[in-house]
Amino acid sequence: MKKLSLLLAACLMASPLALADVVIIGHPSGPDSISSNQVRDLYLNRSQALPDGQSANPFELPEGDATRAEFHSKVTGRNDAQLKAFWSQQVFTGRGQPPEEAGNASAMKAQVASTPGAIGYIDSADVDDSVKVILTP
Amino acid sequence: MKRLFSVAPLALAITAAPAMAQDTEQTLERMQQQLNAMQQQLNSARNTGVRFNGFFSTGYARASNDAGYAGITEESEVKDLSLFALQGTFDVTQKSQIVMQLVGRGADDWEPEVEWAYLSHRPTNNLQLRAGKMRIPFFMYSDSLEVGYAQPWARPPQAVYGPIAVTSYVGADASYNLNFDNSSLTATGFTGFTDEDGNSGDVQLRNIAGMNLTWTDYVWTIRGVAATAEADIDATRLGALAAQSGITLPAGITQLADGDRGNFYGLGASYDNGSWQIIGEVTRVEVDGKFADTDSAYLSVGHRFGSWTPYVATGWTESKDDNERTGAFIPGVVPESILNYQRNEYSVGTRWDITPGVAIKADITHVRGLDKGFGNLNTAYMLESNASSTNVYTLKIDSAF
Repeated sequence: MKKLSLLLAACLMASPLALADVVIIGHPSGPDSISSNQVRDLYLNRSQALPDGQSANPFELPEGDATRAEFHSKVTGRNDAQLKAFWSQQVFTGRGQPPEEAGNASAMKAQVASTPGAIGYIDSADVDDSVKVILTP
Repeated sequence: MKRLFSVAPLALAITAAPAMAQDTEQTLERMQQQLNAMQQQLNSARNTGVRFNGFFSTGYARASNDAGYAGITEESEVKDLSLFALQGTFDVTQKSQIVMQLVGRGADDWEPEVEWAYLSHRPTNNLQLRAGKMRIPFFMYSDSLEVGYAQPWARPPQAVYGPIAVTSYVGADASYNLNFDNSSLTATGFTGFTDEDGNSGDVQLRNIAGMNLTWTDYVWTIRGVAATAEADIDATRLGALAAQSGITLPAGITQLADGDRGNFYGLGASYDNGSWQIIGEVTRVEVDGKFADTDSAYLSVGHRFGSWTPYVATGWTESKDDNERTGAFIPGVVPESILNYQRNEYSVGTRWDITPGVAIKADITHVRGLDKGFGNLNTAYMLESNASSTNVYTLKIDSAF
């Protein structure tokens, strides 16, 4: 019985890795946590500031990326075509520019780790200590 | 040269590292730091940069007669629906930027015209100030008037978007944005003047002052706008018609407004939950003098099925102050009531997003109810043909990049 519960505990601890959810990461000097709505507002041009007041620098993964699709379905509720239409309206009405793109998870980490005010998202399996996880949506 | 210098330390680090470092982990860490430093340099170079975006539309439309709804006749050509625009965004500082948009239209032989050219400054996260040439924010889709890709339809509903001849102004605006947990409120005040050719003659607005309030919870959007200006309106098209018919008009008679007070009111609402897309606007134009005051409205309902978004729309526009035009425009020949009009339009169409950035649209619009006046369409044709309706068929490609 004891062995079984140990096994269960091990499984529970291992499961976040196995299921590999998207996590929101930030620059080490940024805030320690952020709400899902605040992240949504940053990625949909509704806000330009992090919860601690410094100006935000969001990064996106490229269109078609599975982590990007998961992030947007959980946080902004929009697919690639809707995002493209949304940003074309923002850009051509002078309201703003879409977040900068990072080519893949390691580029995302490098950008977020080196840009003050940066915020991004990666698969939880890719997290290392160059960035900090500020939200698991 | 600068880049060479910034790469040099990394190259040095790479070649020197194996000899100096005791273990590979230290080497990796050093390289990581170097990479981060390079990344930072790249970032700062990019932030001072310039961004270019563009949009493009082309297509073909044909009408069942020459009534000229939306300018479309039996002889319309591909170039009439074609336009190409390039927009540059130049960051002046982190809080200020210059936006410039050049639009070339096939109908104007691709002569590029400046549609936007303004300096914007964001002193705080909530406040944005702009000065320069901008769109007059009369309608929900004023800002993206020519960006077909950002619109659900083949063209904005003409009942509301058609009667307004002027779309840009030179001036300044200030927007204040309040973000709540799940909604936001934006208040914009604007002022300026216009000077450009309109579609029914020369229209000039001076001393424009207006206010715009938009509330949205990102599913519902409600927008109200009120604006006032001094208007000069010269009905050159009516003048041309008279000349064509060999009638000499008394000097100044086509001047329908000369510094007269003009007011604009608009109320719009939209609902977009990701699958249903419902949009409606009601507008009122009031101008002192002979120029027709008009009320207009449209309602559009669309639904997304994957990459397809079919829609139906209906619009209506009518002149309101007909009792002010009971005299003769040209004594014995043309009554003032020629300026009255009424029109109903019905559209069915679809948007098809073939890939992010490119959409194809097909639309059929039926226009009728022209019993009062000529529906503000091509008066010369309407006089001789007695047409009571027109159909317009449109196929269009819209792209943004």
